[in-house]
Amino acid sequence: MAPEQRRKIRMRRLHRRVGVTAAAFVIFMVLSGLAINHSNDLGLDQRHLSQPILLDWYGLEGPENIRSFRAGENWLSFAGSQLFLNEKAVATLSNGTGAVFNGEMLIAAGSDELLLLDPDGNLVERLPWGPAGAGKIDSLGLLEDGNVAVASSGQLWFADRDLLSWQPGAEAGMSPLWAAPGVAPDTLQQAIARHYRGSGPSLERFLLDLHSGRIFGSLGILIYDLLALAIAFLALSGLLLWVRGKRNSK
Amino acid sequence: MILSACLPAPAGAATVYETQAEFLARAFSDSPPDPKLLWLSGERKSAVRQILGHDYPALRLRYWCQADRSAWVLEEIGKELPITVGIIIDSSYIRNLRVLTYRENRGGEVATPSFTDQFNDTALLGNGELDTDIDGISGATLSVKALTRLATMALLLHTESNCGSGA
Repeated sequence: MAPEQRRKIRMRRLHRRVGVTAAAFVIFMVLSGLAINHSNDLGLDQRHLSQPILLDWYGLEGPENIRSFRAGENWLSFAGSQLFLNEKAVATLSNGTGAVFNGEMLIAAGSDELLLLDPDGNLVERLPWGPAGAGKIDSLGLLEDGNVAVASSGQLWFADRDLLSWQPGAEAGMSPLWAAPGVAPDTLQQAIARHYRGSGPSLERFLLDLHSGRIFGSLGILIYDLLALAIAFLALSGLLLWVRGKRNSK
Repeated sequence: MILSACLPAPAGAATVYETQAEFLARAFSDSPPDPKLLWLSGERKSAVRQILGHDYPALRLRYWCQADRSAWVLEEIGKELPITVGIIIDSSYIRNLRVLTYRENRGGEVATPSFTDQFNDTALLGNGELDTDIDGISGATLSVKALTRLATMALLLHTESNCGSGA
């Protein structure tokens, strides 16, 4: 066999092997690229990963702790910066300090703000905490008449019924019942942990990371670079084989 | 390595241009009145939804009223994060609109007086739209629209409040 013929066969073999290797990659890139281009229409930006193995891969762990407060017939729980009414995430609130139910509204306190929710968990109002001279919220409590009390840096504050204004006061004679964390049922805690992790990366983000190789870290990017070069090689080798074939047929 | 590549990029820090207390002090010559409450329910809720394109993320709002002047602190999402805006209304005309806190990474130009001053002396037309065309800012379209919606909403709420009825 002539050396030219042998070179041609080697080239064809190499072209075929690289082509087979790259085919799956090309198909995946096309499909994922199409999905990313239409991610809004497909709702991929609204749906989030919930598979534990993927959340683990992203390093998204459950909440460090869940603090639950009995509020009427319900549980209000703080998990990270999420506030849950029973199993349902209803709002974000950082550094939860307590939660109560005054018969009309659920009230949850963070260190810097209070949230008022209706009994279904709909946000009524988000109140920045900031009476003049007040520090951060340490505790939240209820008076017998249902009005809200806050302990802040050793000072007590009492709100009117609508929580429109705050007055400083002394505990003597007022005796608020301070919110204290309780032990929520295990099933509730597990559900909260599951929901908490569920609000991880969107499917759009996941696809973008797959499409770019970033989901596998710097090694993934390197492999994708090599596969991209393989596709460029296919284009060049295919062109070369076509030119040679055309020349030989003349 | 994987984590750094995959976890969401941290959101930019919020820029506070004016606190609520400073805004209220400015609106009412250093002696703001006690706040009042306005519930967003029934037709009022529907009207607000029509302006914003979605429900306002709270069932009640507090506002401050003195004579015919009212002050509102409202929030609306530009692209991803809420923009906090203070709006002063006098006799159904916007006297001043100010971005109090801006949280988005892009589009902060809407906080400049050269943009917000366009809302001064704006009122509502009979069809519920602003009587002034607000010029947009290239690259801040969503924030411009958010502020325009809030201005419209504040004018509507002013007329709905006791303040707007001259009480």
